[in-house]
Amino acid sequence: MQLSLNEDQTQILDFVDSLTRPYAAPPLHDASFALTSDQLDAELVENGFLDVMAIEELGAVTAALVVERLARLPYAVEAAASSLVRPLIDPELPRPICLVEEGQLRKPVRFLKPGATVVVVGPSGVRSFTASAEQVREPVGEVLYGYPVAYLTDIPDDARRHEVAPDEVLRAWRVALAAEAAGLLAAALQSVVTYTSERQQFGRPIATFQALRHRLAEAQVVTNGVYWLALKAAGTGDAGDAALAALHAQEAAKRVGYDYHQFLGAMGMTVEHPLHLWTYRLKLLTAELGGRGANALAAAEAIWG
Amino acid sequence: MNFEWSEEQQAFRDKLHAFLQANLPDDWEEFSKHGPASPDLTEFARTFCRKLAENDILFPHWPREIGGAGLGPWEQQILAEVMWEWGEPRGGQYMNVNWIGPTLVRYGTEEQKSRYLPQIARGEMLWCQGFSEPNSGSDLASLRTRAVLEGDIYKVNGQKIWTSYAGLADTCFLLTRTSDDRKRGITILLVPMDTPGITVRQIPSLIGEGDIHEVFFDDVEVPVTQRFGEEGQAWEIISYSLTNERLGIPRYQLARKALDRAVTMLKDSGDFAQAPVRIEAARCAALCEAARTAIYAIVQKRVDGLAVGPESSSARFATVMAERAVSEFVVEFVPEALAGASAYLQMHHQRGIVAGIASGAAEIQLNIIAGDVLGLPREPR
Repeated sequence: MQLSLNEDQTQILDFVDSLTRPYAAPPLHDASFALTSDQLDAELVENGFLDVMAIEELGAVTAALVVERLARLPYAVEAAASSLVRPLIDPELPRPICLVEEGQLRKPVRFLKPGATVVVVGPSGVRSFTASAEQVREPVGEVLYGYPVAYLTDIPDDARRHEVAPDEVLRAWRVALAAEAAGLLAAALQSVVTYTSERQQFGRPIATFQALRHRLAEAQVVTNGVYWLALKAAGTGDAGDAALAALHAQEAAKRVGYDYHQFLGAMGMTVEHPLHLWTYRLKLLTAELGGRGANALAAAEAIWG
Repeated sequence: MNFEWSEEQQAFRDKLHAFLQANLPDDWEEFSKHGPASPDLTEFARTFCRKLAENDILFPHWPREIGGAGLGPWEQQILAEVMWEWGEPRGGQYMNVNWIGPTLVRYGTEEQKSRYLPQIARGEMLWCQGFSEPNSGSDLASLRTRAVLEGDIYKVNGQKIWTSYAGLADTCFLLTRTSDDRKRGITILLVPMDTPGITVRQIPSLIGEGDIHEVFFDDVEVPVTQRFGEEGQAWEIISYSLTNERLGIPRYQLARKALDRAVTMLKDSGDFAQAPVRIEAARCAALCEAARTAIYAIVQKRVDGLAVGPESSSARFATVMAERAVSEFVVEFVPEALAGASAYLQMHHQRGIVAGIASGAAEIQLNIIAGDVLGLPREPR
């Protein structure tokens, strides 16, 4: 048992922090639901931050740490699937990586665009293909999530089959989900802590009222739990640990989402405040992999049979 | 990072389990169902802890200079997990090995050390903690039990309450007020429980037979040589003690074992095939494991020689969440367990309610998290 960061991990997180510093605050005049940056994406790739899992002395825990850290940014980056799932399938697959559950084409797919690699996972195996313009349908109307999303129209018959077991990919997907959620939860919490510590009503910061303090403290407890369960799942590679981490992440997202907007009062209804960038990503993550019930069933199966 | 136990650590855990398996009576679960503070278990622990001492597993994490084996914080945690999982066969003596011993070593006089440490080391001594009072619970620093020095004798008057083990303890680690200064007016006295003027009354409770008591002090005379530390030094000393005790009891371990036990019963009855049951069981497991990893992150800080800070309150609250979830799971899906079908689950359920109340109420933990982990501005007082 050894739970402190090693020197390599500390160094990599320092590198990530310094590279992403220009992206640490949202632009003042962008009021979109989903905020992305091609430049940030390119810089992460160029510096190898999405490929740390394959490096022996770094591995999956370091990859999860990087994913968690990147998820705290106001910019949405396709890092989780690339960092934690792609190495199991084919490390050379072009990004972004879009993970799709077999038989779930009705659901919006994060980061899907022409040229993206779609990975379909399900009982019939693991398949991948490069999405063509015809296979990608832009949503009609407004998208209320903090990610760029699109719909997949079909899965080509000649999609490439991969040797890896679908259960193994699902396990890694759950770790990726939990690590990303951990960062989103941490960033959302921090933004609410900052706002409620500054906002004054009745002559004092609203964070001095216990009605908020205790709920924020409980949010810290579950956020911390998601962080550790995600890292543990990355470290052990165990299917039960991965499902528990994904479940706890989705439970936590459900628990804190409305509270956070509530605590911001009317500011919590605006796109001017960046909170939605994290909470509206968490919303879509709670729908991933079948949601809490499905991840709980997966955990129960792995733990107790 | 590495989330696996080393071979040595796993072997240590196995050795402890094997020892308990071999040395606890066959009807142990029934016998111990009223928890570690019940009179039966307290009495049993006097013999059992002697056995642990003889086998060098009473306090293996103590430094060698005071008779321990010098094992580290991970081994201390493993020891605590295994013991708690088995219903804490050390009874109240777990306090001796966790914090009373180390605190005696640091703050005791030579006379106090030579009097108490050998008894603790032999597994023969039971303490009780005279902390809470009827009007001083979470606000401990408001305590009023007064000790007045007359010559070289302290005369103690007042009342303590919720005192575990008081009925059978040999000695009380007693907090008294010696001046009006809120925190620096508190002084520790080590008081033999058979001193004239002490009356102990048991409080009937939901948490197990014979656990909590009220203790009355009427003109109790305590020689000044039994003062522990200087006058007014109590707050500093108990703060130090808490760094040894701060991780608390590994309740997540018993909660997880209780959950596994409940699942086994549900499998036997065929009800574990139902999705709602499986989903809820997984939710409970996630809460138990979240609490475990949060605690482990703190143990790691101790291993690294770093100060343990307010994050321990966060880990303790995570444990409260796990305890509650498992208790509710058992009631919802295995109701027969609390009506005679499982002594183990009954014991867990009775102890579960304690998690958010004892050793600092859950609300106090939340206050600490809000102020010191999140850094929220303080509430006006």
